[in-house]
Amino acid sequence: MNRIADKGWSLDSVIPYFRSGCLRAVAFALIWWMLTTGAVGSWLVGVPMVLIATLVSLVLVPTILWSPSGVALFVPFFVWRSLYGGVDVAWRAFHPSLPIAPGLIEYPLRLSPGLPRVFMVNTVSLLPGTLSAELRADCLKVHVLDTRKNVLSELMVVEQAVARMFATSLKNAERGDCNEQI
Amino acid sequence: MTLIDVFSAVLLIAGGVFFLAGTLGLLRFPDVYTRLHALTKADNVGLGLVIAGLAVQAQSWATMGKLLLIWGLVLLAGASISHLIASRALQRGIRPWRR
Amino acid sequence: MQTLYFALALFLLLNLVAGMWRVLRGPTVADRMLAAQLFGTTSVAILLLLAQAENVAALRDVALVFALLAAVTAVAFVRRAWTDPETKHDAN
Repeated sequence: MNRIADKGWSLDSVIPYFRSGCLRAVAFALIWWMLTTGAVGSWLVGVPMVLIATLVSLVLVPTILWSPSGVALFVPFFVWRSLYGGVDVAWRAFHPSLPIAPGLIEYPLRLSPGLPRVFMVNTVSLLPGTLSAELRADCLKVHVLDTRKNVLSELMVVEQAVARMFATSLKNAERGDCNEQI
Repeated sequence: MTLIDVFSAVLLIAGGVFFLAGTLGLLRFPDVYTRLHALTKADNVGLGLVIAGLAVQAQSWATMGKLLLIWGLVLLAGASISHLIASRALQRGIRPWRR
Repeated sequence: MQTLYFALALFLLLNLVAGMWRVLRGPTVADRMLAAQLFGTTSVAILLLLAQAENVAALRDVALVFALLAAVTAVAFVRRAWTDPETKHDAN
């Protein structure tokens, strides 16, 4: 995960960059194709842009660990749960007696800092009844729409799915300043 | 009306219902946090359904891809904005409403 | 289908207007900031519907720009503009 410069230019150290570079170039080309809705002439600008974008992204974010099977499992999970989240909150908004019992809980994060954590924070806000409100050291404050439901187990499932997607493992939670209920 | 038209119309109308739910939640819910719940989730599902309804009508794969790209962007924006507003509100000392 | 697109676009516009009531009323600055969120999603949906209804592909690009701008402006606004002290407790 070091920069290219740290390692020197041996073949072994270049191959991973080459692979993720190719993958990203394909991804950027796909985005360009969508943006221009397949206009053929646009590739005159598009090809250099894709190359520049790939190089810049390799310099800024050298490697992202991810697992294709993890992504394949996460996407349907996310689509289903976020749809459920929408239905859940819509039902509460339409209901005459407004069935909500909001509160704050603190969740001890087991994901490693960085991209996986940011991803988790953003995902939580779109899932049923949870809204990530504050991220401190190892602790995520979550605003819950209905505290009568068991949110903690749901959050654990999400965390597990995110960890699998980024091919990382979960470390043991340190309670520290993070008490689960306040 | 073809079968695709019917399918697309159902998705679009369902999307409209979620947008209505989002607005209703925005007006009825008691504090900024619960309103964020309503807006973020209901509106994103609403937009998702509207985009799905339009995507099945799309003339090319690239157009369909662009629609999905827009949805992804709005999803990302919505999630991060709601986190920022909620964390800033907590910092500012706005207490969450309790029943 | 044309009628449905226009009807839905109008409906969403009314939604936006209804949501503006919350934005104008507040009571806290945070509530006003919800406008960014509301406008982001609803305006994108309206633009996409109009693009389909009138067969103007360029409106889809406008929607794309709106989606990007909504994100950028909201982040900038939350981080920089919201600095006046907030003392009100939000309950009604």
